[in-house]
Amino acid sequence: MMGGDFTWLGPNPGIHGWAMATAAVVSASCALVGSLLVVRRMSLLGDAIGHAVLPGIAVAVLAGGRLGGPLVFFGAVAAALLTVWLTQALRAAGGPAEDAGAGVVFTTLFAIGVVIVAMAPAGTHLDAACVLHGELAFLPFDTITLAGLPVPRAFASGVVAFLGLAVAAAATWKLQVFTAFDAAAARAAGLPVAALTMGLLAATAIATVSSFDAVGAVLVVAMLVTPAAAAELLTRRLHRMVLVAIVLAVVGACLGYLAAWRLNTSAAGMIAVVLGIEYAIAAVIAPDDGLLARLAGRISLAWRVTCEDRLAEAWRAEEAKRPHAPAATLIESCGAWWLSRTGQIVRAADGPRLSPSGRREAETVVRSHRLWEAWLGRHAELPVDHLHPPAEWVEHHLGAAMRQRLEAETGGRDSDPHGREIPPEA
Amino acid sequence: MTPSVAHVPIVEFHDVTVAYGRRPVVWNVDLAIDAPCLFGIIGPNGAGKSTLLKAALGLVPMVGGSVRFFGAPLDRVRSRVGYVPQRETVDWDFPVNVMDVVLMGTYGRLGWFRRPGGHERRLAAESLDRVGLADMADRQIGKLSGGQQQRVFLARALAQQADIYLLDEPMAGVDVRSQESIFRVLAELKREGRLVIVVHHDLRTAAQWFDRVALVDRRLVATGPTAATLTPENLNRTYAGQIEVLDELARAVAARGRTP
Amino acid sequence: MILVGIAYNTLVVAAGVAAVGFAAGVVGALCVLRKRALVGDAAAHATLVGVACSFLITGRRDLATLLAGALVAAFVGLGTLVLMRRFTRTRDDAATAIVIGVSFGLGIALVSGLPAWGYAESAGLEQFLLGHTAGLTASDAALLAGVAVLAVAAVAAGLKEATLVAFDAAFAAASGWPVAVIDYLLVALVAVMVVAGLPAVGAVLVTALVVIPPVTARYWTERVGSMLVLSGCLGLAAAVVGVAVSAGRPGLATGPLVVLAAAAFFTVSFLFAPRRGWIAQRLAAARMSREWLQDRAEHARDPGGMPPAMFPDGEPHP
Repeated sequence: MMGGDFTWLGPNPGIHGWAMATAAVVSASCALVGSLLVVRRMSLLGDAIGHAVLPGIAVAVLAGGRLGGPLVFFGAVAAALLTVWLTQALRAAGGPAEDAGAGVVFTTLFAIGVVIVAMAPAGTHLDAACVLHGELAFLPFDTITLAGLPVPRAFASGVVAFLGLAVAAAATWKLQVFTAFDAAAARAAGLPVAALTMGLLAATAIATVSSFDAVGAVLVVAMLVTPAAAAELLTRRLHRMVLVAIVLAVVGACLGYLAAWRLNTSAAGMIAVVLGIEYAIAAVIAPDDGLLARLAGRISLAWRVTCEDRLAEAWRAEEAKRPHAPAATLIESCGAWWLSRTGQIVRAADGPRLSPSGRREAETVVRSHRLWEAWLGRHAELPVDHLHPPAEWVEHHLGAAMRQRLEAETGGRDSDPHGREIPPEA
Repeated sequence: MTPSVAHVPIVEFHDVTVAYGRRPVVWNVDLAIDAPCLFGIIGPNGAGKSTLLKAALGLVPMVGGSVRFFGAPLDRVRSRVGYVPQRETVDWDFPVNVMDVVLMGTYGRLGWFRRPGGHERRLAAESLDRVGLADMADRQIGKLSGGQQQRVFLARALAQQADIYLLDEPMAGVDVRSQESIFRVLAELKREGRLVIVVHHDLRTAAQWFDRVALVDRRLVATGPTAATLTPENLNRTYAGQIEVLDELARAVAARGRTP
Repeated sequence: MILVGIAYNTLVVAAGVAAVGFAAGVVGALCVLRKRALVGDAAAHATLVGVACSFLITGRRDLATLLAGALVAAFVGLGTLVLMRRFTRTRDDAATAIVIGVSFGLGIALVSGLPAWGYAESAGLEQFLLGHTAGLTASDAALLAGVAVLAVAAVAAGLKEATLVAFDAAFAAASGWPVAVIDYLLVALVAVMVVAGLPAVGAVLVTALVVIPPVTARYWTERVGSMLVLSGCLGLAAAVVGVAVSAGRPGLATGPLVVLAAAAFFTVSFLFAPRRGWIAQRLAAARMSREWLQDRAEHARDPGGMPPAMFPDGEPHP
């Protein structure tokens, strides 16, 4: 049932509201599980399970289960565990390593699932298109009655799945974090790593199947991995990452649904697209690693280095009683201008001179430089005339505490290997 | 190989700093080797010895300095430099046999699209013979012992017919008998006038076989003739050196900030 | 007369698909040796966007146009992966999964929207999801076969370089080979094969065509050359079987049947291959422990003799 998802629905807020709520809750489940998958570098296994649960679901539906019912959940989990077991058994039996083995297993299982679905008697609540991209817009019509209210079955089962997953995650949280960070150490510490991993994979299957009739088998990977990867860029703490991922997932699901309604196309597809856009935005604006942040960091470092170099040059010119070398490049000129604006260099009749604050700053830089030369000369085998270039760039990265250590480790000498005096700490 | 002109070192590291990402791991190494010899690079684990070798070969980028072979950059003299990498980098289940691997040493001179012919096969057979594996040519490489695998790698390098050989931990995981036979082949190479540089971890065999050594622990600690360099003081500075300063600085440089 | 025409068409189509199966097996074998088995998956899922855009932009539905769009989209998908690796902290497996999911979502959104946006004839694009060979013409098959032949020729020409890089990239780089370029060429070749496999197997499952035959072939040989040829033959056989079975059942998409055929070959090889098959390995292990126990028993009877030979060539295995 490709296309025309929405044309016949009309602007019915009740229906759309339920559909959006269903999308949001299944998306949240996927984001919760996906955070752990991403952190443990198991994203492709999540993709594999997303595909491989199909035969489990198909068999369960043929056996009389209903989508969203317990038999189907059970079938999906069984299929997921079968996938993992087969992949590991293949590798243990000397079969294909790593990705190749998983690739063999999940494509085969998916193919089996498609064939089962295709050969199912007509009227079964599954068809090939549904498998690939779900039918979110039709879900609100399949309702069950809860406390007198007609509630879409998919929404109810989605909420149950999410609550169950949240409880399981909270109960095992510390173990999950430890294992995600360092599985080998966790195993050595006696934690039940294998059980945790199996639990995570079962959780993936549950999240997958709760999303299945909303977005189908292939797009569930977008909901599992994309919000979690975006959240990973935005924060480095795992518990915050999960929360951010869930928020991104819910927002993405709602916006995606609305966009699909507006554009009259597949809701599942648009949700995946919106999640991708969220990821791209996160990649640009992320605080430490985002593109903007990196650019800003590079510019600010180059600026600081230039200003410090100008100050140090002025100081050395004074020490050697030679003229101050003029600014050669554009950025040096800008640096020189800024230094005179902040009063660290003042223009005098006989050329630029350091103000007291400028002198302090310059002496810090030169001190760093010469301390590093002294340390390097002592601890490494380098000819004396090769000490200057390394110190040229290290001088910008030394702080007060480090300078103190260097002074201690070089025996408190007050001259560098060239015999020049090391200025005292300001 | 013609005798090296006195003022052009065979290999020269000039102020080499190597980083993984933005984080320096080897600092400002200055090292020149003037004459063919068996040269050892010694140091503790994580000292950056392999990194230094890989940087010289262009496998890992240098953030500062340069390495020259016969006074020229590596790209101009690639055919004169042979490399024996660590064994862990290879998948030993790969469907090739010993002869296939040794023939790979001849590919550099063959160039694009040409297949190895009779000349290359004879060369490969000679190299195999030299390391004592002539009867293993048809074996799949996974069926060899550690020492045999290392000797296959050495034969591949011999087939390159290089003037300089760089070996990365060739004795790791190799039994004593194979180690001796490998060292003997390396000594033969030296006698033929080639330079052999070996990253090595065992001080006892280092003292026994190498003519000159360089002690490295994230920077060059000392270098020179083996007996004169492997002194207790130098070894202490290398193996027990208190240089967390470098680690903290590396973190600061990687974060583009200052150390505290 | 018409019957003969139909049979001829089917044969030509089968030949074209068989050629693609062969080439996909060969190219996939190189990929598997290079330990990049699933790189084709990202390319494959992105192709749907290309097919849809191609149709939207040109209005044409002939195979060459649609596949050209698919190829562009495949390269964009792979390029996105490269950008993500270069500019973000996101790890490779997550990046691949993101490209797979988001690009496929975009593709689905485009293809689903076509009828609603007034394109009456768009329905055919769905066939690229799971494969449908019934609509292929003889000239389509010729195009696919031509691409397949070129791909195999490229592999044959560069086999030595590709094997060198796959076996020991560090040594190759140190010897001066442009490892990154060779890798990009290989990935580009996989993208081409993935696109060529779309009509027969569909975007969702085409990655199986480049992964399962090579993995199967590995069980039967210890040489690269024969592994490539055998992988090609297995891909060819799987494609032919899949197409033949689906021709008999028009309701069934071709893709899953091709995959099941390839999986059947894999299962047989996994179990029954001599030396590397599971049964053979169990038997060999049982025999070795029997022999060892016999040696021990003899040694116990004659303590002055040599200690039992644990390893045939006299040296401990790694």
